[in-house]
Amino acid sequence: MGANHVLNNVSCTIEAGQNVGILGRNGAGKSTLLRIIAGVESPDEGRVIRKSRVSWPIGFAGAFNGSLSGEENCRFVARVYGESIDRVVEFAYDFSELGDYFFAPTRTYSSGMKARLAFGLSMAIDFDVYLVDEVTAVGDKPFQEKCKAAFKARRERSSVIMVSHQMTTIRDYCSMFAVLEQGHIRFYETIEKAVASTTSAERVGAA
Amino acid sequence: MKEFAIGLGVELRIVHALILRETRTRFGRNQLGYLWAFAEPLIWIGTFAGMFYFLGRLTPAGMDSIGFLATGIVTFSIFRTCVDRSMTAIDGNKALLFYPQVRPLDLIAARATLELVTLATVLAIVLCINSVFLGRFEIDNLLLMMGGVLFAGLLGSALGLVAASGAVFSPLVERSTGPLMRPLFWISGLFFCSDDIPASAREIMLYNPIFHVIEMVRDGWYLSYTARYINILYPAGWLLGLAFIGLPLERAARRRLELT
Repeated sequence: MGANHVLNNVSCTIEAGQNVGILGRNGAGKSTLLRIIAGVESPDEGRVIRKSRVSWPIGFAGAFNGSLSGEENCRFVARVYGESIDRVVEFAYDFSELGDYFFAPTRTYSSGMKARLAFGLSMAIDFDVYLVDEVTAVGDKPFQEKCKAAFKARRERSSVIMVSHQMTTIRDYCSMFAVLEQGHIRFYETIEKAVASTTSAERVGAA
Repeated sequence: MKEFAIGLGVELRIVHALILRETRTRFGRNQLGYLWAFAEPLIWIGTFAGMFYFLGRLTPAGMDSIGFLATGIVTFSIFRTCVDRSMTAIDGNKALLFYPQVRPLDLIAARATLELVTLATVLAIVLCINSVFLGRFEIDNLLLMMGGVLFAGLLGSALGLVAASGAVFSPLVERSTGPLMRPLFWISGLFFCSDDIPASAREIMLYNPIFHVIEMVRDGWYLSYTARYINILYPAGWLLGLAFIGLPLERAARRRLELT
């Protein structure tokens, strides 16, 4: 295992209410950073101090037990977070628009369907900060609009830290931009500045 | 102190959620599936009771054959299934580690609790039914008996914790528990008591903590039997030792786990 420093000797604060979009090349460690912020992985050195309710990393990967149905997975998560089970299940069912698939084992889901479920489920729980890994670029236009509207509706209460390849999504959601590169993270006010700062700007926007 | 109470509350909530999730996949979706948990130990007990009967083998004085076998076999089953299920707990639930509150130790705690409670219930039911038809209802020392059952589960999950965490580093660890279980089945006192074996052999066999645990259960159940040679502190020492290895190993394994 070659050492790949995602963040090395960096200290930074993200204030409540700041919507941050993280840019970086494939393999720069964006997803790893999100997991460390969430507390799924612990950093080799240093600490992550959270003062608000932070979600799990919402994305395509993991988070659902394949042999359980969408509904059962929702029940599990509601219990873990100490939320009302019926309310969470109902909300996730309505939001994800999976229909009868909601009651089928999640291993039969396509990655798009998993992402819909993950997104609907996370919206059912009141987090202060949502950690979103690529997932908002999911589904058809109407679903994307729905996600956007849902976030807008809770902008007062919650913020988002987002990783995405798609500049347009990041621009839509975020007001602050960070570039993760070679163990450093830099923050920018506008996405243009962020992109311009990267040594390989054209590759960041691609994919 | 307040933080500890909150933390404990979260921990219990998570283990509870995991246990409910485990019952789904362990026993299937319909509630009859739970009955299957009873079948395996009953088959073992039935087989050996049949062998004892047809071979004319006598159980130690004052002990009926079903009760004697149940206290041995089910107690051993608690230990063995706790090892097996704990060992595979991480692999079977990797996806759930995406929730920051859920850590490998919780997965093991949930599985071991479910196995322990299920098989302890099996033991209680078998002994009660047997005491109505064939044996007697005894219970000499309930606390000692429960202690033995609890030790069987804790020793099993502690060994499972070591194996599960060790398996993250080397697959050899996981494979070595199978060959360990087979001899243990024959030398842990499922089919004999410490009173019945020669002193020279007993001295060696008492190095096995599972032997102590099974003797505790028998002593606790039978009015006429006192396990004179065992020491409760001995399996407790093993438990501490295994926890001492397993807990740091689990911490180290967390880093090595790859979530996809």
